[in-house]
Amino acid sequence: MKLIHTQSLAIGYTEGHTNKVLQEDINLSLSSGEIISLMGQNGVGKTTFIKTLSGLHKRISGSVYHQDRLIDEISKSSLAKQISIVLTEKPFAEYLSVIELIALGRHPYSNWIGRLSTSDKQAIDLSMSQTNIDYLAHKKLYQLSDGQFQKVMIARALAQETDLIILDEPTAHLDLSNKIEIMLLLKSIAGSGKGVLIATHDLQVSLQLSDRLWLFNFNQPVLDGCPEDLILQGAIDQTLFPINNNIDLTTGTVKHLDERKGNVLLQGDPTMVHWTAQALQRNGYAVNKDAPTSITINCLDCLWKLESKDTSTSFDSIENLLIHLK
Amino acid sequence: MITQYFDTSIKKWRQLFVVLGLLLVVLFTLNISLGSVAIPLSSVIDFILLRPPVDNSWHLIMAQFRLPKALTATLVGGGLGICGLQMQTLFRNPMAGPFILGISSGSGLGVALIIFLGVEAGLLFELSGITRSWIMVCAAALGSFGVLLAIILASVRLKDSVTLLILGLMLGAVSSALINILQYFSQATNIQAYMMWSFGSLGSLSWNELMIFSVIMSVGMIMSMGLSKSLNALLLGANYAESMGVDLKIIRIMTIINTSLLAGTITAFCGPIAFFGLVMPHIARMLFNTTNHLLLTPLIILIGGILMLFFDTVSQLPGIEATLPINAVTALLGAPFVVYLLLRKRNIHYTFDK
Repeated sequence: MKLIHTQSLAIGYTEGHTNKVLQEDINLSLSSGEIISLMGQNGVGKTTFIKTLSGLHKRISGSVYHQDRLIDEISKSSLAKQISIVLTEKPFAEYLSVIELIALGRHPYSNWIGRLSTSDKQAIDLSMSQTNIDYLAHKKLYQLSDGQFQKVMIARALAQETDLIILDEPTAHLDLSNKIEIMLLLKSIAGSGKGVLIATHDLQVSLQLSDRLWLFNFNQPVLDGCPEDLILQGAIDQTLFPINNNIDLTTGTVKHLDERKGNVLLQGDPTMVHWTAQALQRNGYAVNKDAPTSITINCLDCLWKLESKDTSTSFDSIENLLIHLK
Repeated sequence: MITQYFDTSIKKWRQLFVVLGLLLVVLFTLNISLGSVAIPLSSVIDFILLRPPVDNSWHLIMAQFRLPKALTATLVGGGLGICGLQMQTLFRNPMAGPFILGISSGSGLGVALIIFLGVEAGLLFELSGITRSWIMVCAAALGSFGVLLAIILASVRLKDSVTLLILGLMLGAVSSALINILQYFSQATNIQAYMMWSFGSLGSLSWNELMIFSVIMSVGMIMSMGLSKSLNALLLGANYAESMGVDLKIIRIMTIINTSLLAGTITAFCGPIAFFGLVMPHIARMLFNTTNHLLLTPLIILIGGILMLFFDTVSQLPGIEATLPINAVTALLGAPFVVYLLLRKRNIHYTFDK
C-alpha cells in the first residue's frame, strides 16, 4: 500500500515575493514495509523535503498525498496519527525522563489533560521493548549517550503509532556499531509493516540496508532506484562525490592513487589479506597478482613473510612490516 | 512494567499534592493570624469555620482586611508562577517571566499617565499613599491590555516566538521611556504616588474587587491546565510539537492571552510584582524534579500561593504597624532561596539545552 506519494512537487523557501526552489518535479512514493534512504550533499534540500512531507513546511507547488489524500485536507491531529518524525534538534527540557518523553508520543491520542489510557500505556510499553530501552525508562535525557538518545527518540516516534516514520540523519554523531544498530532497528521497524524514510549521509550502511535510494542533486532531477542499480549507473558517484576524492564505489572507501612505490603479491587468509592490503596501499604500494615481491601471511603464527628474489624476512605485525618497507 | 511505573508515580504525586494543600491551609491561617494586631489562632479558626466571633474588632480586621489580603496573596502567587512557567516554555528561555512581553510596563504607563497627566489636567483623584482607586486599576488594565492587543496582533502575523519576545521588549522599552519623561516633568508628590504603586501591594483589594479578581484568576488557572498538554509537547521543540498535532499558532496565541490576562490583572490590582513570576517555575522544577506541565501547573498554583503567603506574612512585620513593600520582600527572601537551590543543583541544565 502506498503510504505517501508526491506529484510534481517543488520544495524550497519563499523569500519576500520570490521562491527559492531547491528541488522540483519530485515524483516519489513510499509503500508500507519499505525502508528508503534519502541522500544528497548538504544544502540540497533533504531536511526541507522531509519537513514538507510531514506538513511542517509549505511546499512551493505540486502535491503531497498521504494514503491518497491530499496533505492539505488532513487535519493536524489526524496527520499526527499518520506520520511521526525524528529530527536532529535536541529537546528543550533535558530534565524530562525517558518514559515521560516517550509518553509525549501519545499526544495525538490522550485527552485534554494528557491522561494515558490502557492502550496508551501498552503502546509505550511496546515501543520501549521494540527499541530495547526498558532499562533506560527512569533515566533523565541529559544522562543518555547519543546512541541511547536516538533510540529513545525512535521509541517516541513508534509510540505515536504511525504508518510512516521519517528520520533526519538518525545516525549522525554515532559510532559505527551504534549506526548499524540503529539501522537494523529501523529495518526491523520497516519489517513490521511500517514505512521508513531516512535522510542520511551514511553511504555504506544505507546501501546495504535500504530497499531504495532517493538521490537529490543540485539542478538535476531526483533519482529513485535500487541502491545497487544506482551504483552501477554511476549515479551515486555523481550525486554524492562531485569532486573526485578517489572513492572506491564497490566498497565505498577511499582509493589510494599513490601506489608508485612498488607492487606486492599478497597471499593468505582473506581477512588478513584485506587489512594488510589496506595498510600497504596507504603507504604507496599496489597489490598485484604478477608482482615479483610477495608477502605470505601465515595465520597460525600471525607472521608476515616478505619474499623477493633472494631475500626472505618475517614480521610479527603489520607495523613492523611497514617500518621495514619504508 | 511501565504501567506500574505510572501508577506508583501517580500515587506519589497525589501524596505530595495533599501535603502541599495542607501546607497552604496552615500558611493561610498563619497569615490571617499575624500582623500589626496579632490574632490568636483559635479565633482565626473560629472565623474560618464561620463560628460566632469572640472579639468583634478582631472579626472586623479579619473580614475586612486579612482575609481578602490572604486570598489575594494566594491567587497572585499561583497566577504569577504559571505565567512565568508558560512564558519560559513558549520562548524557550529561562529568563522569561510574566512581564517579558512588556505587560507591566504597559500598565505602568497607564498608571503614570493617570497620576502625572491626570493631576496636571486638574482632574480630581484621591491618589495619596498606597490607597488605590478604581481609576488606577482601570488605567493599569488599559495599559497592559493595550500591550497585550499589540502582541496578539503581532503573533498572528509573526511565525517566530523569539521575534515576538523582542517586540515585547521594545514595547516595554518605549513604555519605560515614556514613564521616565512623565516623571521628569512631574512634581515630587506625584512621583511618590507612582513609586508607591510600583512597590506592589496585596492588601488593597475590596471584597467587590476581589470577586472580579478571583474569577479572572480561576479562569486563567483552568485555561493553564488546558494548555499544559500542548506545552509539554512544545518542550521537544516547535517542529516535534507540530508533528504531534499541536496547532502552534493557536497554542501560542492562547498562551499569550492567558498569561497577559493573569499578569495584566495582577498588575492592575496589585502593582508590578516582577521577580516572583520569573523564579517560581525554577523553584518548582528544582524542588520537584519535573518539567511536566501537567504536574508543574497545579504544583506552582499551590507553592506559589504558599510562598506568597509566607512573603506577605514576613512583610507584615508582626507587632509593628508598618508593612514592607511586597516587591522588596519577594526579592529579598526569594533570591537567596534560588541561589541556595542553584548551588545545591550546581546548574540549571535540568531545564534547558546546554
